[in-house]
Amino acid sequence: MAVMVLYYVITALFTVILVRNFIKTRDVQKGILYLTVLMPFVLRLFRLK
Amino acid sequence: MYIHAGIVLGVIVLVFALARFLKLSTELAMLGAALAGLIVHGLVVPSRELVGAFAWFEVPRHIVDGAFTYFDVVLIFLTATLFMNLLKDAGGVAYIVRGIVRRFHRHRALALLFLTVVMLIPGALTGSGTVTVLVVGALVGTVLAYMGVSEVRVTAIVFMCAAMSAAAPPINLWAMMAAAGSNMPYVGFFLPLGVLSVLGALFSMFYLGWKGTPIDLEQIMTELPKPPRGMRWWKVVVPFVVLFGLIAAGRVWPWAMPVLGLPLMFMIAAAIVVLTNLGQLRLIKVISDTVEQLLPLVGVMVVVGILVQVMALSGARGLISLGIVTMPLVAIFATLFIILPVSEGLIQYAVAPLIGVPLILLFNMKGFNPIIALAGMAAMWPIGDMLPPTSVVGRATVMILGFKGRYYSGFAKTCLVPAAFVLLLGSLFVVFSSRLGFLVGG
Amino acid sequence: MRLNKEWTIKGIAMAVTGTILVLAGIAFAQHRNFKEEVVLGPGVTTVRTLGDYFAPLKGGPNDANVFILGSGEPGGTMLVLGASHPEEPATSLTAHLLVENATVEQGKLIVVIHSNPSASTVTRPGDAYPRFFHIETDWGVKRFRMGDRWANPLDSWPDPETYVHFPSGQLLAYMDVRNLNRTWPGRANGSLAEQTCYAFMRLIEAEGVDLVIDLHEAELEYPIIGTIVAHQNGLRIAAMASMTLTAEEFRIGMEISPLALHGLSHREIGDHSNAPAFLAETPQPFLDRVRGITDESLLLTGKDEFVMKAGEHGLLYWPIDEDGWPIDVRVGRHCSTILSIAGFWTMFNRSKPLVVTGVPRYADVVAEGVGRFFADPRGARAQVVLE
Repeated sequence: MAVMVLYYVITALFTVILVRNFIKTRDVQKGILYLTVLMPFVLRLFRLK
Repeated sequence: MYIHAGIVLGVIVLVFALARFLKLSTELAMLGAALAGLIVHGLVVPSRELVGAFAWFEVPRHIVDGAFTYFDVVLIFLTATLFMNLLKDAGGVAYIVRGIVRRFHRHRALALLFLTVVMLIPGALTGSGTVTVLVVGALVGTVLAYMGVSEVRVTAIVFMCAAMSAAAPPINLWAMMAAAGSNMPYVGFFLPLGVLSVLGALFSMFYLGWKGTPIDLEQIMTELPKPPRGMRWWKVVVPFVVLFGLIAAGRVWPWAMPVLGLPLMFMIAAAIVVLTNLGQLRLIKVISDTVEQLLPLVGVMVVVGILVQVMALSGARGLISLGIVTMPLVAIFATLFIILPVSEGLIQYAVAPLIGVPLILLFNMKGFNPIIALAGMAAMWPIGDMLPPTSVVGRATVMILGFKGRYYSGFAKTCLVPAAFVLLLGSLFVVFSSRLGFLVGG
Repeated sequence: MRLNKEWTIKGIAMAVTGTILVLAGIAFAQHRNFKEEVVLGPGVTTVRTLGDYFAPLKGGPNDANVFILGSGEPGGTMLVLGASHPEEPATSLTAHLLVENATVEQGKLIVVIHSNPSASTVTRPGDAYPRFFHIETDWGVKRFRMGDRWANPLDSWPDPETYVHFPSGQLLAYMDVRNLNRTWPGRANGSLAEQTCYAFMRLIEAEGVDLVIDLHEAELEYPIIGTIVAHQNGLRIAAMASMTLTAEEFRIGMEISPLALHGLSHREIGDHSNAPAFLAETPQPFLDRVRGITDESLLLTGKDEFVMKAGEHGLLYWPIDEDGWPIDVRVGRHCSTILSIAGFWTMFNRSKPLVVTGVPRYADVVAEGVGRFFADPRGARAQVVLE
């Protein structure tokens, strides 16, 4: 159980960085790709999938 | 069914080609193709027994379901690369390379041998040739240049070793994805993949790097980046010891150890790098750079998942699978060395579920050893990473080493002999897989 | 100006992604929280849950319902496991049908409809499974969850680097630590699937189970198909069942559980309890990799041109034609297989008879359709359990 919590922490860490990079990037193609990659991270964090 | 699957497949190919023509990245072109395929499937799906019209509400669910396909692998990828990048930022990688040069500068063979090992580790742990190029490519390239190896040969060596590092165990993404797709345990691959990747890397390094001049130690030492003052050998060794220790402990005491999983193991190793280099690392920057560096690769894995979901939904995956498994075996064997690298160049890791899985099922049915055969194929795919339209690792290599020569007539041509060696070896593994079953052990 | 354009595109992309996430999130939540309605049949005497046999499971994702159909008469006890792999829906439907229809004249029948409930709350990423499937009944349409082979990662995360099976030490694929038919006989402090198997072993002890039938379906490209796999302790029963079923109802093979293959129900239950274990397989073209359009139609009709074409090339281990492998045929096969095994158990164990009535045989299910055997949960005297 504790390990599972750590996995949500790891997921949250990368989610935050993905969002940060999305905001910072000037390249819209990269921006769209960041959003695509974010999808599984967000739904896992919300425990929906 | 044939017509429907054919239409969807055609739309996918067409939209991908068009998007590439319009200068969209491979990943976005693939995403566009997948979404177009999904919509066209919904529009033209034939009437089916027992079910009503296509449920458009399911469209977003299919997209996200697909995006989850390789989520575990994505996490391994991110955490492993973060670990390697932290080690590089701490100066650990430069420390190792300087150590090798200082110790072995008089023994060319030993120096080449250890440089090969250094090249193999990042990719073996992360499954990515790009990570190898980014983490150790420049350093190894510098050393090789001072050993009198020509620029074009240095570039070819770095690419070939990076490709072999991606093939090297424990993490070979093609094998993992194809195994997962055919309900086969990713177990028993260590030795066959190890033999193939080590032979391929050693051949490339020695064939291209043997001729040269003796190392001028003083000059190279001033040229190579200097690790920070506090860097000690144990700071490099301890994170690896902990990492391999945790993996080993999971095997030795599987029921006493809590299940940590590879991502957490890499994070623990990364935390040790941070703790032993307190105040010296730009932590947020390294994490952010890691994510940016990996975006094309992580992106392609997420997008490939969506594409595979759409192709499975519409029958396009079945059509491809059927096309492959109904081909004569001799024709498959004779063309593997072209099909595998070319398809890798076209669609990257998507080759594993789309081409790898039906081939494995076919080989299994025909009495071949599926593990050895898959290992053979999984060593041939990375060669395609220098081929268009994606050329991911090839481009990274040329960029990192600042290679100014011609890409195809210079760099790619120089890779030909070692690449042919790997492709031949891989093909032999596939054809004679049933006789190589003894390699399946670890 | 450029910045504005950049953020316009980014904004649109965010709105699209956000919409996709919300709609997909709703779809996933609907699937995960959907409950099937089971109408307790005349034979059900008690409903317990797995947590009653192993407390740590109580109230958790795998606290599966355990339906006990007693007779009050001494005899043998049979445990039937449905949906060890919830992507094989004929298995949960058969178990469901037993609970709603079976009556036990002698001995005791224990039925679990979803043996790995967590796995029934998730569909397999990348495989485009439908979330639900529907069966036509006399009183309307009955809805069921379609699941995956492995427990939901929301309930069991992370997977190990390599899964080392307990107690054999055999190495298996990492995700199989969530596969109920790779985690027998289970471990009290193991993964969710290992704990679930451990609970089943405690159930087998506590209820004095004499034989276990684990229901499955398989792709036609898979060699273990259309067969009964039996532990060596149950070979006579399996052989007789296979022979008589083949002679009288449909072709079904018999195989001996391999000694060296660990984690499977037919090996470990037999090895770690007194109960011989049988695993029954029906053909399910939906699981084939060469399949065409993946939808509820294929799931229920088992008709697929691509799979047929693979068959023409000799690439399948089981035949298929234009009629496919409809769900009624698959459920019917399982019903007759269970009845046949129970019958031969009684023949070979006269002191522990097991007599089950009220269950349709193969021909009945094929003729009338499986939906005919599900009661209306809104019926006047319906006692409903949510599954």
